[in-house]
Amino acid sequence: MKTNVGSKAISYVAAYVFALLSLYPIVLMILSSLKTNLEIFSSPLSLPNSFSLDTYKKLWEAVPFADFLLNSVFVSGMSVLLITVFSAMAAFYLSRFSYKWTGALYFFFIIGLMIPIKLGIVPLFLLMKNIGLLNSLWSLILIYTASGIPISVFILTGFFRTLPVELEEAARIDGCNHLQVFWRVLLPLIRPALATVVIINFIHAWNDFFFPLIFIQEEALKTIPVGMMVLFGEYETDWSLLFAGLTLSALPMIVVFLLASKQFMEGLTAGAVK
Amino acid sequence: MKQFRLHKVASVCLIAAMALIGCSSQGGEKAAPGTQPGASEGSGQQVTLSMHSWRVEDTEGYKAIIQAFEAENPNIKIDFKPFKATEYNTILNTALQSDSGPDILQLRPYAPGISLAEAGYLEPLDNIAGISAFPKDVLAAATGKDGKVYGVPLSLNSTQFFYNKKIFEQNGLKEPKSWDELIATAKTLKEKGIVPISFGAKEGWLLSLSHGVIAPASYSGSGYIDKLLKGESNLQSPEFLQSISRMQELIPYFPENYVGLELNDMRTLFATEKAAMFINGSFELEGLKKLNPDLQLDFFPMPTNDQKAVITTWVDGSYAVNAKSKHKPEALKFMEFMATKKFGELFANQFKRISAVPGVSTDDPLVNKMAELSQSSSTPYLMVVHFAEGKPTTKQALENALQGMYLGKLTPEQVAEEIQKSAATWFPPFKK
Amino acid sequence: MIHLFPLPALIIYTLFVLYPIVSAFLYSLYDWDGIKRGVFVGLKNFVTLFTVEPFHEMFWNAFGHNVYYFVIEMIVQNGIAFGLAFLIYRKIRGAAFLKMAYFMPRLLSVIVIGFLWKLILNPNYGALNTLLTEIGLQQWAKPWLGDPDTALLAIILINCWFGIGFAMLIFLAGLQAIPEELIEAARLDGATGFRLLWKIILPLCMPAITIMTIFTFIQAFEAFELVYAMQGSMGEPFRSTDTLAVYFYRLAFSSAGGAGDVAVGLGSALAVVLFFIVASVSAVSLYLMRKREVQH
Repeated sequence: MKTNVGSKAISYVAAYVFALLSLYPIVLMILSSLKTNLEIFSSPLSLPNSFSLDTYKKLWEAVPFADFLLNSVFVSGMSVLLITVFSAMAAFYLSRFSYKWTGALYFFFIIGLMIPIKLGIVPLFLLMKNIGLLNSLWSLILIYTASGIPISVFILTGFFRTLPVELEEAARIDGCNHLQVFWRVLLPLIRPALATVVIINFIHAWNDFFFPLIFIQEEALKTIPVGMMVLFGEYETDWSLLFAGLTLSALPMIVVFLLASKQFMEGLTAGAVK
Repeated sequence: MKQFRLHKVASVCLIAAMALIGCSSQGGEKAAPGTQPGASEGSGQQVTLSMHSWRVEDTEGYKAIIQAFEAENPNIKIDFKPFKATEYNTILNTALQSDSGPDILQLRPYAPGISLAEAGYLEPLDNIAGISAFPKDVLAAATGKDGKVYGVPLSLNSTQFFYNKKIFEQNGLKEPKSWDELIATAKTLKEKGIVPISFGAKEGWLLSLSHGVIAPASYSGSGYIDKLLKGESNLQSPEFLQSISRMQELIPYFPENYVGLELNDMRTLFATEKAAMFINGSFELEGLKKLNPDLQLDFFPMPTNDQKAVITTWVDGSYAVNAKSKHKPEALKFMEFMATKKFGELFANQFKRISAVPGVSTDDPLVNKMAELSQSSSTPYLMVVHFAEGKPTTKQALENALQGMYLGKLTPEQVAEEIQKSAATWFPPFKK
Repeated sequence: MIHLFPLPALIIYTLFVLYPIVSAFLYSLYDWDGIKRGVFVGLKNFVTLFTVEPFHEMFWNAFGHNVYYFVIEMIVQNGIAFGLAFLIYRKIRGAAFLKMAYFMPRLLSVIVIGFLWKLILNPNYGALNTLLTEIGLQQWAKPWLGDPDTALLAIILINCWFGIGFAMLIFLAGLQAIPEELIEAARLDGATGFRLLWKIILPLCMPAITIMTIFTFIQAFEAFELVYAMQGSMGEPFRSTDTLAVYFYRLAFSSAGGAGDVAVGLGSALAVVLFFIVASVSAVSLYLMRKREVQH
């Protein structure tokens, strides 16, 4: 294909303008958090006059952010672990064995993709109360695991189907049982798809605010989004503090992303559509 | 090697399984929110009561009040947890529907709160000490159709025009004594380049609140409310229609882009002295003073068509006891405390608001002036006191319709028609 | 032994997704007094939802907004995302940085996004209106979220900002899965530029496009969090930002406080309707995609 200089220039401009649009609000958030209220109101677009972390100090004293962070890490990490292991096992079964019910079972899982689980909040609350999980981080882990399973089974089953069966057959001839085939042969092969599943579910669990809002009342058990929500309500007029709170909420995820962005991207592109 | 790998799989499953089992037993001890494990047996033991509120802003203030109570009752601890007002309803209802929830809860006034009592979620409070000292119309905010009282009233709210004394003086303005004077005042301010009224239409509840201030001017003293409550008049009557037209008449005196402004923006405009007047409730006093301690703040009651002046009032935020609470005796003890003069004074001074406890005054002259006017010349906040029912409530229908009016989609006549239609679906006198 | 494999997923999913949602659906068959369940009434709630004022008006108003949400996201989010994916596919310098930049907003919580954009769009002090004023376009400065003509669009565009990175990656994966030989062959046949894109690349990208369309559809019809975080549960201003899920929230939970304005039965009926809209459309598209794949 002939690519003339003009069309190339347009491509570059378009690609980088959109990159700017994607990043600018986030940069603005971070810069604003370093300004005073007065500065935010009088010149919202300029760079901060002086660099000051005072707002962050105030913020750190106002909320137990370290607790929130730890809770978020625990809830998201545990949910992702359970989702990945359980979904991969289910996907293995669904893609490698065909019984009368396999199709129906797959459909049964896929329905979950279309269920807005929030609509079932009242029965879910009752259920959590009956099994004694109100005000426990495990209520969140179970909900995120359950609601993450459909999309994960969908992605992993799709990926399994693209893998040739010869390898497994060879392993079986070597005397491996199902579990060994699954664990030793298949799991390493579906790593890219697993990465997708991990990323999608981690972001989801990390950022959700609805379920912690309903299920967690103890301050020390709150996750970042819902813990910060009260702060946003309490300091509605203090924009500098608000921006700092928003930045602090977003920061852990952004740092992880920057550190692992290569794996992130490869994971997402590899497993998503097969 | 094979064995080792297998072992790993098994252990992951085991960890997962243990986690599942472990969590449920651990959670079992925790039980419902607000009930602490092993604390309820034996009266000498420490009991912690959970107390929920929608006033995030009040967290600090409650600390002092609760400390006073805990000093008198060393075996009871109160765990005060506020939620954002919008989420409070969702959290509370979800919990109540599952027979759990806090021991002590803040109750919305009138119909919405009473509906919880009617559904059986609240403990009657008729027998606690001090409750009979409250006037009947104050208790009405939390009295069920069965005649029982379900909440200890917390405060009397009033809504009014706040104004900036300094700006008024600098421009030779005085408190308006009639609607025309109010318009003239606003006009003068606008000519001088000052925003006359800090107002925003983005949040519906502030529209019905402002209407609650402006409307009585049109019908106060005419016996309209009595006729309305008997079904002899309705929400499309000339008086009521005038109240809505007047809301429209004020548009030129609102800030630029007022349809996009929220309470924060309005409060900031007024506190930073960019706007001269601000229609809002007594509960804003504390926040305004925090934003600008030097603000020369005053308020005027609404001048009415019959040459008087009224202040719009209602009872706000009673506290109630959850019927499913595991620590009812302790919770009732706190209710008794809330009915005492000591609590009333602590509350009034801490929050700069009018306590519902009779005979309590504060050290704030402005609050005292509000309290006096609430006694001598008050008018009910119609939408909260009488029209907060329906699905959606008639109050919400008014909010939506007023928003429509400010966006140029509805005429005042259509607004009146909309809310009459809403009230007709449930308001008993209209159904006859 | 092998049948144990799907069991953990099956149990957790059934217990914590299916069971609550089916129970909630069953609520729609009962009469409710506030938040107390009454007698079995069959389909009465569904009839009320579609025939009684103001419920049916609110339904169609919200439904229209969901459709609008879907259309704008398809055009803006997926259109731009495909364009960007194509640019990266055709090799561009700094591709790694670009991918990262596009994806960055997806990392933020809706709570953060909602607050951040509310501050940016604030009519008096917000960055957007300040920017417009500084470059001499003050007549363009608007109360974006208070004006019914712009409020919903603003929210949808923010959603696009949020979702472009993810959509772009899906499209990029689709593009990269196209065998090189096919494109080479087409080029040898003289196909260039738009013809190549239109006749060869787009059809071969159909699986990715279908999946993204289904995701977008589900997301658009379940749109709740961002709308709620920015405009609350009343669909303000003047119901111009109401969506089916926000309407559900309003029916199932009180916005006035207490139980008086709650209609659990109607809310559950709405949930059932919403589920059937989403499920039927996604199932049909998935089925069609499968069929086409088999034909290839």
